[in-house]
Amino acid sequence: MSATKSIHPDEKYKADKMGGRLFKVGLAAGAALLIISVILGATKGDHWRRFLYAYVVGWSFVFSIALGSLFFIISHHLTRAKWGIVLRRLAEFMAGTLPFLFVLGLVFVLPVLFGNKHLYFWTHDGLHDPKHPLWHHMHHKFGWLDPAFFAGRYVLYMAVYIGLARYFAKKSAEMDTAPDAAAAAAIADRLRVVAGPATVAFGFVTLFSITDLFMTLSPTWYSTIYSVNYFAGAMLATYCTLALLARVIQQNGKLVHSVTVEHYHDIGKYMFGWTFFWIYTAFSQFMLQWYGNIPEETIFYSYRMFSDWQYVSLALLVGQWAFPYLCLLSRWTKRILPLLMFFAAWQLVFHWVDLYWNVMPNAQWTMETTAHGVFNMGPLAGDPAKHTIGFHFLDITVWLALVGLFLAAVGKAMKGNLIPVKDPKLGECLAFENY
Amino acid sequence: MTTPANDDETPGAADAPPPDRPGHADGPDGGRGDDGDDGRGTGNGNGHGSDEELHGLLAEFETPGALIAAARKVRNAGHTEFDCYSPFPVHGIDPAMGIKATRLPIVVFLGGLTGLVLGTLMQWWMNAYDWPWNVAGKPTWSIPANVPISYETTILLSVLTTFFGMWAANKLPQVWHPFFRLDRFARVTDDGFFLGVEAGDKRFDLEQTRQLLVAAGATHIEECYVDARPEARTMPRWIMAAMAVLTMVALIPVALVFKARATKSPDPHWHVFSDMDYQPKLKSDQPFADFADGRANRGELPGTVARGQLKADDAYYRGIAGGQWLTGLPAQVEVSEATLARGKQRYDIYCAPCHGFDGAGMGIVPARVEALGGAWPARNLVERGSAVITMPNGQLYNTISNGYNTMMGYASQMPVADRWAVVLYVRALQRSQNAAESELPAGSQVR
Repeated sequence: MSATKSIHPDEKYKADKMGGRLFKVGLAAGAALLIISVILGATKGDHWRRFLYAYVVGWSFVFSIALGSLFFIISHHLTRAKWGIVLRRLAEFMAGTLPFLFVLGLVFVLPVLFGNKHLYFWTHDGLHDPKHPLWHHMHHKFGWLDPAFFAGRYVLYMAVYIGLARYFAKKSAEMDTAPDAAAAAAIADRLRVVAGPATVAFGFVTLFSITDLFMTLSPTWYSTIYSVNYFAGAMLATYCTLALLARVIQQNGKLVHSVTVEHYHDIGKYMFGWTFFWIYTAFSQFMLQWYGNIPEETIFYSYRMFSDWQYVSLALLVGQWAFPYLCLLSRWTKRILPLLMFFAAWQLVFHWVDLYWNVMPNAQWTMETTAHGVFNMGPLAGDPAKHTIGFHFLDITVWLALVGLFLAAVGKAMKGNLIPVKDPKLGECLAFENY
Repeated sequence: MTTPANDDETPGAADAPPPDRPGHADGPDGGRGDDGDDGRGTGNGNGHGSDEELHGLLAEFETPGALIAAARKVRNAGHTEFDCYSPFPVHGIDPAMGIKATRLPIVVFLGGLTGLVLGTLMQWWMNAYDWPWNVAGKPTWSIPANVPISYETTILLSVLTTFFGMWAANKLPQVWHPFFRLDRFARVTDDGFFLGVEAGDKRFDLEQTRQLLVAAGATHIEECYVDARPEARTMPRWIMAAMAVLTMVALIPVALVFKARATKSPDPHWHVFSDMDYQPKLKSDQPFADFADGRANRGELPGTVARGQLKADDAYYRGIAGGQWLTGLPAQVEVSEATLARGKQRYDIYCAPCHGFDGAGMGIVPARVEALGGAWPARNLVERGSAVITMPNGQLYNTISNGYNTMMGYASQMPVADRWAVVLYVRALQRSQNAAESELPAGSQVR
């Protein structure tokens, strides 16, 4: 039985000035925090390394939400999902930030291109010396890990993402102005057909982009599931952000009738599901490497298990998996909105901790003396016990600055209708109920 | 529908119309006329005599929506002993009937937890307690290695609890229901939506309940009778007996397995597939009495050479020319950068562990022996004026192929071409380790 409903007569579903307000608030907060971070980064006196690393963490956070939103859109068209149609516009706004994120990403990609050697260890000149102890680990990778090639790939990846995001958003907007129901249905059909190849393209590009941007921070380490784990975290963060964004919009008096507890319940189910998928991939990576016990794999964990990072590792296990997983098991956690919002915010914070834990241990590079001289061994080298977190206030400010700028970009994209008013399945989505 | 499966033609109904039967209680005909239901029929195979008692009323509805509305109405009238029947799950029927949210998730959670604990305990008992076994030096008891199994047992018990918990909650399996006596009820598996009120309900009153169902929009209402005799309500004895016998027979293989586990026997084990276990064939090194030499292996026939096994070229295959060790190189060996690179690669794999990457005889194996307090250097291949430097290429090749003293031959690991490549590389090592300063290319000498 597919019950349908029409949009409630009192519903306010036009973005109006809300986008502009979000833009102003986000931009002001983001810019202020960014200036503070730049000052902190400049006074640190470490060739901007801490700033760049913190920036990569923050950028990977907002990038993951944009990426997850893009996949949310594509997968909804692909599966003809109805429950999330009232949320699709919000995802389109978030995926619409990708061009802006491309520009923000240049902050760490351009320095690599122009010779900064303090972020990615594979840019280190000493590695090209055959006497370097890591040379035999690295020499066959130099063809791929080349600054110009790297920057070129960054542009290519982002071009694919931006192209997909723009196409789906543009066609979706066209639906709103379709002359009749048949024309809107034709657009929906078209998007469904495109969603197939788009899923393949998305998966393929994501496999490479995440490996390139984040995994090459530890260039001697191997893992084939790293991108999948990042993707799992990205999807989790996306559903959390969707819940919070929809709630904020409702508290501004819009979409109050369209987005119901049933939709939040489904978001909650996905939060639960992706929480488990995240730990599933994270544990798969850990267990295979722990069991295989091969040095080029275990380095990743030895510096996260036998240093101060072990506390972050354990916090992550409890905070991003055990606690939310057990609480989200219940139907009621997902239907009591203040509780759901708490977990959405909680998991977003721990998503940042996850990315921080993935990226930051690479920030400490170690010098080592061998028979052939003194060499910079890069990240994940030396005595694990001497590895420190090296937390800096800057780590937080850069993250929040990028969140502010991301929200500003969401506000900029927030135009027109907040729901696809002429989507052929909108009625079924409005009447959606969990039985 | 040209030949509707009309219940009215049922012979039993026509033959024995019950005397006290209140006739066909047709509700308002909601457009079912095309179904052949013209109201002339009276029976549905439900003829009931003095031994029968009323089970309840069965009402049919046109659509799922009508069923939901009727359920709400019946419930609001205070009925509790009623149920709805439909060909597929009807969304929204639970709240309409006043069915509370199921407690099954809590049971499933506990089932999952049990699976987690049992799975973990099972691994501890098997691996760490009952039969500790060293696998690749891993600890016999470690949480990360146990997670996949515990995860699977958690899921297994959750799933089983869900499945059988659902059965228990719904009183399944139920092989028979009184409504099965009504032919019309068969349509519940196709396109019929039914609501049945049982006579045991506190508010049940034949006429009032019928009125209620009519008002709720039923298109057809029927009474349902069941046999009141106690013996008609129990399972026939022969079925019980057959089930008991089958259960006993099914236990025989299990009992045999347990007997075999618990007793000792001098007999060989049973061969279930003996033609697979004993195949009429001989493997190469097995004895065979029918041949004079008692061996299954026939060897090569005199005067024959297997294809590709001739190897007549002494210089190439054995390093011998005219009865002497070859001093030059066989014609097949091309002195080139590529051959040398291949030789280096093979040398680093097979020779360097003992002879060292530089050929000086201190590879990782002798180094390890020395670290442990012993001394076992391999031959120094590059020592100035030593026998290895002066020995002919053919003899060097022969040593690689067949070994020397404690060194084993490498013919099985390295094809002929690779062995010659290694000879070349060893010569290059010797040359480079003993080079005079004047031999260095101009401009590269240390001043």
